[in-house]
Amino acid sequence: MLIEIKNLSFAYGHRTVINGLSHTINSGDYLVIQGKNGTGKTTLIKCLLGINSVKNGMIFFDGQDINVFGGWTRFGYVSQNLDDFNYEFPLTVEELLKFSSITKMQQSNYLKHLDQMGILDIVNQNINSLSGGQLQRVFIVRAMLNNPQVLILDEPTASIDKQNTAFFYKTVEELNKLGITIILITHTESLEHINYSHRLTMSLDLTTEVERKIPIEVVNKL
Amino acid sequence: MITLSFFQDLFQQDFMLRALLTGIILGALAPLIGSIVVVRRLSFIADTLGHFSLVGISVSLYISTFGISFFLEKPLYLGLLFSVIGGLLIELFRRSYKNYKEISMVIVISLGSAMSAIFFSLAKKTGSLYQYLFGSILTVTNYYLMLIFITAIIVLVLFMLFGKQILSVSFDETTARFLGINVNLFQFVFMIVLSMVVSVLLESVGVLLISSMMIIPVASAMRFGWSYRSTLIISIVFSELSILLGLWLAYSFIIPSGAAIVSVNVLILLIVSVIKKLVVKRNISKLDQLK
Repeated sequence: MLIEIKNLSFAYGHRTVINGLSHTINSGDYLVIQGKNGTGKTTLIKCLLGINSVKNGMIFFDGQDINVFGGWTRFGYVSQNLDDFNYEFPLTVEELLKFSSITKMQQSNYLKHLDQMGILDIVNQNINSLSGGQLQRVFIVRAMLNNPQVLILDEPTASIDKQNTAFFYKTVEELNKLGITIILITHTESLEHINYSHRLTMSLDLTTEVERKIPIEVVNKL
Repeated sequence: MITLSFFQDLFQQDFMLRALLTGIILGALAPLIGSIVVVRRLSFIADTLGHFSLVGISVSLYISTFGISFFLEKPLYLGLLFSVIGGLLIELFRRSYKNYKEISMVIVISLGSAMSAIFFSLAKKTGSLYQYLFGSILTVTNYYLMLIFITAIIVLVLFMLFGKQILSVSFDETTARFLGINVNLFQFVFMIVLSMVVSVLLESVGVLLISSMMIIPVASAMRFGWSYRSTLIISIVFSELSILLGLWLAYSFIIPSGAAIVSVNVLILLIVSVIKKLVVKRNISKLDQLK
């Protein structure tokens, strides 16, 4: 899916957090959105997902304006700190994925994805007994149930230790190799584990900087 | 002796049999809805809807003063309508105060209390207010029992058809949309179901005790539940137990049935909490011994 952000601005009251941002994300890209806390990374994602309504600027998905876009099942989203999810109520991984599987395709998908993520053995565990890393992977499985074209991960490694972080990024990279567009948000500066295709750095002074890595195929042709 | 005559009356006296059947149905229905309410972190909502439902009942009694006997005999219909209106108002205010869900409930409960006090007063029926505040399962009629039965069937069918969607939206409203769920529709469906259950609970347990019937058995079950299903089953067992014991207490000591049921519910919660603490303590000391 081609995502085009054109001259996007967003403010909370009088405080502007995004100022005239334009960016294009191609199908199969691995975009890292980097920046310190408060630079508007999550706000940008919420605009992309229609959670924040866009009043200044435009966003297009495959040429379709976000205000008339209806294909939200083409997105998979794992929110920051899973703060919207009530994971204190007793619930097993299987129950979570079963009631998230509305269609037959989703029902047949979850065991395959659990296996792919290396967490098939925790299927009967209560979600509040899982480690941060396991929980993140469970939520990625849930986001993958629709076979999304775009997977958005907001600060996915915030509650994962260093060892598991490397493994986590490897898993995400494999999903990207399958053709899924990845948009990953992070506030950390070390990106050595991440094999991204381009990076958007957002700053507190509302400026943005884009770095595009040249694909290996292009380098070989030079 | 009292126990023996309680069991004799339970199956010989019509009013006791009706109370038992009503209790059994409500004992399953209240925690079923209550578990979703707890997941949504809206434990206060049943109280709020109950208070707003009371507006409907008071308006109905007021209309009956103009000579329309239907509104005097069956005030629950307007109670149900106002319960639904209260639910919709909560949703409306909740969207204006996204991060302060409780504000919407305070607005609706305040409006409900004020309006019902006004209409009860205009209808000159403030005496019947006690009945709706505390309810009585021992005085339910055949008509009311049928109403509860129909409500239970509707709720069960809705849950069989849309249980997954309702749970998905309840656990995580933000991401449910990306699973292909119409979030607004299922929030609306749940609010209608909740309003119906609150309205039918009003007559048997009363406005002030509705929340406890829905929430306390779930709170007790959460201490031992390891999954959603197990928590729901345990909460229904606790709820049925509290109703049977509550009925026995109300019959034996001639005390209000709703208050007796809720007191047993709280007692179960206390016992379960103590047992849980002891179990955790024992497990920790076992682990220490292993070290």
